[in-house]
Amino acid sequence: MKYILMMNTMRAGHGVPAWPQKDLQSHIAFMMGLNKELRESGELVSAEGLSFPDQAKLVRAGKDGAPVTDGVFPESKEFLAGYWIVDVDSPERAYVIAAKASAAPGPGGAPLNMPIEVRPIMSGPPPEML
Amino acid sequence: MKYILLMSGTRAGVETYHAWSKQDIEAHMAVLQRINQDLTESGEFVATQGLAEPRDAKVVRGEKNGFPVTDGIFPESKEFLLGYWVVDVPNAERAYVIAGRISSAPGPGGKSTNMPIEVRRFATHESKSR
Repeated sequence: MKYILMMNTMRAGHGVPAWPQKDLQSHIAFMMGLNKELRESGELVSAEGLSFPDQAKLVRAGKDGAPVTDGVFPESKEFLAGYWIVDVDSPERAYVIAAKASAAPGPGGAPLNMPIEVRPIMSGPPPEML
Repeated sequence: MKYILLMSGTRAGVETYHAWSKQDIEAHMAVLQRINQDLTESGEFVATQGLAEPRDAKVVRGEKNGFPVTDGIFPESKEFLLGYWVVDVPNAERAYVIAGRISSAPGPGGKSTNMPIEVRRFATHESKSR
């Protein structure tokens, strides 16, 4: 079963967090270690980090189909910071991996305990939509 | 450059899909499949996934001992990711054009949904090549 683990931590307008360099480095090292562990267990499908919300655009099709871009988001909007796709035997295993990611170190090395959204991935459109 | 095109909606919005006619759903899916086919042929396609409905979503946090704590209660206003496309394109404008095409996919009665698509650049691949 495939699951996506989403880190929705960022707010509109924000760039690189203002953490000391050392704290940023331990955070990244932790994430790279987690990815390595999941690659070795054969559970990692993909993992990506996204650029910061200050570069995000919202696109809609205009009447002629041409893209209309908009970069203004409400301050309250949550942005995806990154995600993991894992192929695991049960939702419980996906939750265990999400909890590990949640506990990644933040400023001063303390675990962030950030919320990670866990969702099953569909291999195709739901049967009721076909 | 890799970009992710994110299609999001609220739970109430997702539930309106159940009211679409079979014909409208088929027309919508046919356009999305055509977009995937075109992107594959142009060599820009990296990945696409649809996510299971928000009712299956959980938020996970790591407790002090690293144990996962799950929570499935979300505010009505929360936007959920419905699906995404990852494309590898020469510039942001090309990513916006693709997002515009997705946005113009037909909805009920064949009328374009004009659904907003969030376009974000990947951070990971760029940092690896540095």
